[in-house]
Amino acid sequence: MLSRSAERLYWLARYMERTENTAKLVSVHMNLLMDLPKDVEMGWQQLISINGQSSSFSDHTKLANERNVTRFLLADTSHSGSLISSLNAARENIRTTRELLPDEAWQQVNEMYLFAKSNLDSLTNRSSRVQFLNEILKGCQGYNGLLSSYMSHHHPYRFIRLGKNIERADMTSRILDLASLLLSESRSANLRQYETLLWMNILSSLNALLMYRQHVRSRIDGDDVLNFLLLDKKLPRSIGCCLIEIYDCINELPNHDSLPSKTAELQAYVDAIDTHQTTQLQLRMILDELQNQLNELHQQIVSNWFLKITPQ
Amino acid sequence: MKSIWENYKTDAAYDELMYSESQPRPVSHRLCQYLNTLKKTDFDQRKMAAELAIMEMGITFTVYSDEGNIDRAWPFDIIPRIIDIKEWQKIEQGLKQRLTALNCFISDVYANQEFIKAGKIPSETINSSKNFRPECVGMKPKHSVWANICGSDLVRDKDGVMYVLEDNLRVPSGVSYMLENRVITKRVFPELLQDINILPIDDYPTQLQDMLSSLAPHPVGKPQIVVLTPGIYNSAYFEHAYLAQQMGAQLVEGSDLVVKEDDCVYMKTIEGLEKIDVIYRRIDDDFLDPEVFRADSTLGVRGLMRAWKAGNVALANAPGAGVADDKVVYAYVPEMIRYFLNEEPILPNVPTYLCSISEDMEYVLDNLAKLVVKPANESGGYGMLVGPHATAKEVAAFRKIIQENPRNYIGQPTLAISTAPTLCKGKLEPRHIDLRPFILQGENTFVTAGGLTRVALKKGSLVVNSSQGGGSKDTWIINMEEN
Repeated sequence: MLSRSAERLYWLARYMERTENTAKLVSVHMNLLMDLPKDVEMGWQQLISINGQSSSFSDHTKLANERNVTRFLLADTSHSGSLISSLNAARENIRTTRELLPDEAWQQVNEMYLFAKSNLDSLTNRSSRVQFLNEILKGCQGYNGLLSSYMSHHHPYRFIRLGKNIERADMTSRILDLASLLLSESRSANLRQYETLLWMNILSSLNALLMYRQHVRSRIDGDDVLNFLLLDKKLPRSIGCCLIEIYDCINELPNHDSLPSKTAELQAYVDAIDTHQTTQLQLRMILDELQNQLNELHQQIVSNWFLKITPQ
Repeated sequence: MKSIWENYKTDAAYDELMYSESQPRPVSHRLCQYLNTLKKTDFDQRKMAAELAIMEMGITFTVYSDEGNIDRAWPFDIIPRIIDIKEWQKIEQGLKQRLTALNCFISDVYANQEFIKAGKIPSETINSSKNFRPECVGMKPKHSVWANICGSDLVRDKDGVMYVLEDNLRVPSGVSYMLENRVITKRVFPELLQDINILPIDDYPTQLQDMLSSLAPHPVGKPQIVVLTPGIYNSAYFEHAYLAQQMGAQLVEGSDLVVKEDDCVYMKTIEGLEKIDVIYRRIDDDFLDPEVFRADSTLGVRGLMRAWKAGNVALANAPGAGVADDKVVYAYVPEMIRYFLNEEPILPNVPTYLCSISEDMEYVLDNLAKLVVKPANESGGYGMLVGPHATAKEVAAFRKIIQENPRNYIGQPTLAISTAPTLCKGKLEPRHIDLRPFILQGENTFVTAGGLTRVALKKGSLVVNSSQGGGSKDTWIINMEEN
């Protein structure tokens, strides 16, 4: 397999995962805010800080209201982290690796992109936004489904899985950042009142609510949620599970060098996290360290398999 | 309601499907019967369905422009072009004969030059050809075949005769569009395709793969085949990716390949270097190897010619094959067929006046307003003069260009190339078309069933190139007897 193709597939997977995560996040957040009173410190601004995009956002727009934030996250072509930009980047990567993928995969991504592009203007309207997000999520599910059922599980597939899980782990850690708000000592009484709802919202953003209920089988509790999303080994979007996937892919790829042991170290770090009675500060430090290590892992993947050939 | 055929005029040229407004030729009888059952709105719907399919399948070509390169959807006309299998079989024989003779000629040019010595072609014509590569003299590609993939352009004149207009032996493109056109037609007219006996075309990628495998320099179990593309900004990138995918081959760019001290070609993979046996290259000779050809090329691979000459890798088409893809050399193809094969040409050439011959040049200059004048080595319909459609000023300018470089120009009578019904703004109108079949030659020779029909969508236009307002149609070779 060409190094250049490996690189493009890895990025294809990251951008597709980012597209799906962004759609899901906005969609869940919209639902949540319909239920919350206006003065709770959980508004549209939080969605921007999740992705570390605050400065980029304030360059563009001043007011972090629903209209501006959703436009920024979904439709802003000048913002590289927006859904449309991710989808466009995914499409460029799949366009140049078509020969490695089932026909339907290219068509699926191409259709999604064309659909998104022609509907960008309708997103200010809430009900068409809901519809739009549903379509995108369906598209992502279709894409994931056809790759896993049509594609041989060889190297190309491993690079896709690798990219997907790195992106996924990263996104989960960012959503957990949002959760750290709920651990703040100084949080308002109002926020405390809606705490359960907010923890549920975090689980839903990661499609984990139902699985949590089956797994924990008691009322929703912050410590348990953190534990579940960080350490669980079976939930597809938990950090622990993503790391297992990453480890498996890396281990099956040729010339993996010191990467498996590096990944194993990261797994050990995560396993050792104690989510019991975590303070806001502790959680933030854990997550920062996690994101740094994921980034290091990414850099090593790049230099191990891609970098010598062509820049992305 | 007015008929979709209203005012369909067939008198200016031979029409492939119709004798007249109301009378279809035998080959198109079933098609017309079917089309007459459709309402005007049905046509619009089918056309939209086709356009949607093209968008979703991402069938595009790139147009070079001042504002950068733009990916355009492939313009497609839903009304197919039909040829009877009996006529087709003869054309197929003619194409095989032609490519066989062309390959004999190229082999001879780079070996003993018997054809020149016999006085059949002036040595000057060869030596001054831009595509003659002295570096290739003495090479003997496998099966003595230099041009493995050929796209020949055929046109039908008013007399109903099919002529060969040119042979594209460098990096002919269009075959992916031929294949995709059929996929679209199946989606647009499923009910129609079921009850007409049309020859299938979808085995082309398999045939291409077989042909490329037959070129492997050393017997190996499964040769490693790659498609070498100039990259995403090339107008035919879609096709390169498509063919690689259909053959299960790797699509590579120059920077993915490297030639080592052992004169073998390797690709850079995640597992290290992997040896390549056969390269289907879609890069022109000029850019293939900066060590031998253009030193500023960043598309090619340094040392590729060394590897090829050492017999460690096969290149299709072989470097230097383009010497026969020259509109002056074209004029001598009938003679090649007689000389090398001892046969009479099955498919005629269009009469061609060579400006390098003084009587011919005089004739061309005297008749510029009637002729089509083309440069010997351009492709894509660039740099040509269509006399009857040109202004006096354009003709005068061209006269000067020809006189400055006679070797580079040929003149041909303006053919009344045939038309076929084409959907234009909800009505059927005749539009000029040509046909590009693809011929593969390696150990065996194969011709596609039909080819890519290109159509000049502009009224009266004779230029079918996609870069200049052309579109395409699905091409059906049908067996009437079994219907």
